[in-house]
Amino acid sequence: MDTLEKVIEIVASTCDVDKSEVTEISMVGDFPAWDSMGHLAILNAVEEAFDISFEPEEMMEIEDVKDIVAAVNSKLQ
Amino acid sequence: MTIEEQIYQHSIHYPDHVALIAGDERVTYAQLWQRCLLAATNVRRLFGLRKGDRIILAASASMDFVYAYFGIHIAGGVCVPIDPDTNQTRYELIRESTQPVCTMGALHKVEGFRVLPLGEVCAAYEQMDAYVHPDEEQIADILFTTGTTGAPKGVALNYRNLAAAVRNINTFIENTAEDVELLALPVSHSFGLGRVRCVLSQGGSLVLLGSFASMKKFFGWMEQYRCTGFGMVPASWGYIKKLSGRKIGQFADQLRYIEIGSSFMSVEDKDLLCELLPKTRICMHYGLTEASRSAFMEFHTEHDKLDTAGKASPYVEVAIFDTDGKRLPTSMEGEVCVKGDHVTCSYWNEPEERFAQDFFDGYFRTGDCGYLDAEGYLHLKSRIKEMINVGGKKVSPMEVEGILNSIPGIVESACVAMPDPEGVMGELVKAFIVCDDETLTDTDILAALRPRLEAYKLPAVIERVSVIPKTASGKIQRLKLK
Repeated sequence: MDTLEKVIEIVASTCDVDKSEVTEISMVGDFPAWDSMGHLAILNAVEEAFDISFEPEEMMEIEDVKDIVAAVNSKLQ
Repeated sequence: MTIEEQIYQHSIHYPDHVALIAGDERVTYAQLWQRCLLAATNVRRLFGLRKGDRIILAASASMDFVYAYFGIHIAGGVCVPIDPDTNQTRYELIRESTQPVCTMGALHKVEGFRVLPLGEVCAAYEQMDAYVHPDEEQIADILFTTGTTGAPKGVALNYRNLAAAVRNINTFIENTAEDVELLALPVSHSFGLGRVRCVLSQGGSLVLLGSFASMKKFFGWMEQYRCTGFGMVPASWGYIKKLSGRKIGQFADQLRYIEIGSSFMSVEDKDLLCELLPKTRICMHYGLTEASRSAFMEFHTEHDKLDTAGKASPYVEVAIFDTDGKRLPTSMEGEVCVKGDHVTCSYWNEPEERFAQDFFDGYFRTGDCGYLDAEGYLHLKSRIKEMINVGGKKVSPMEVEGILNSIPGIVESACVAMPDPEGVMGELVKAFIVCDDETLTDTDILAALRPRLEAYKLPAVIERVSVIPKTASGKIQRLKLK
């Protein structure tokens, strides 16, 4: 499973929406559950799933699925 | 003077001063008043609204929300603000209780009812009605809190209550018309809605951000609009800190004040804020929907009292009573009770005799336990009621238990507060369950809960036990589970 697919799965499950509703440009606020609490839950789940840890400056830049994927990929390189 | 009259006065004396900002849109006080009048005219025209009729307003912070909220008041209606994420059961109970003429805004988790989009309420209409000043005793808002049983409880606030709360808060925080406040709090709750009233009554400018979710936007707007203050709950600070580290310190010269809501915040977090913002008035309140901001403290000037809830707010009295309603002296622990014009005038649909039981000698009983020290500082010890405080939002254990118990395979359950291991939300819900179906997984349970509960009410941990401890009369002994 590639990074995008995994991230979409995490976002969908945290926000309780169907995977088909989540795209690369889905962002904070797009789903009712993607509020600050949801955002934190998504970032925690991503950190756990990829066994990585984001710095505050990195997290601040993350607003959409694309950002999450980019942040994960830069950590995994 | 009501908040609406104060806004009207600003529209006359400072018509071009900016009242609201959202993205690229700016609204002056003259425009704000016209649009509130327009919303008032529309709700009368669309629903034949009469004095005292209720309207449920389910929305997050937006310009239209502000017009609709004040428009309902101007039209003589009673506003019932609720969270757009309110679940079906809660909405139906609130609807049943208030018998509204309509629901406006958006409801994400409710089906089968008509919800009028706010755009229609704020649409242009030629003939506008004149504003009639309300009676101070008239109910302006009904805010539903989570009662101990989980059933929503309507806190009625009249115009005197709202005006008094605003006066108390603005006196303590020292807001001025020059302030530009970044509003990221939900406006369906007492704190966020209170900030809207405080800023607009003072003639300041309100920047409608809506949520803390995007830190990039939070800091971007703070810089762009030169914001001088904002309100947050301790969980928001946990979030800001986690996602942006010490960045808030870059705004130390710009931020004149921060108001912090009442839930647990560690002394370390308070110290960190003081260090990052040495010139900012950092004001933390203690209060409840029934008695908004009853005590206040400022972190810098009262630094040696950071472990307390502060002193009684301006124009408010705080006293401690025992269970028999006898006033207790300094240092004696008992129920925290408050007195002032800000205290709720009634609970909606509750007889006066029942409401009277919530008072001791004119002081409202908060349900919190604590004592006052010799200098008048309030030390909170525990909650008499068993609410779980998830990031500032109250969760009734009984509400979650009721739904858990209806899941096939769960015999009974008990929910308690657990500390958030991430240190962000303060408390989280922990569920203890007795199961007679070993195949039932946590995923199954959460999937069954999700459609019926708001996300913050979902248990973070589910533990299986063989028995739930109870008293002889069958009451769950939650303390034994902590």
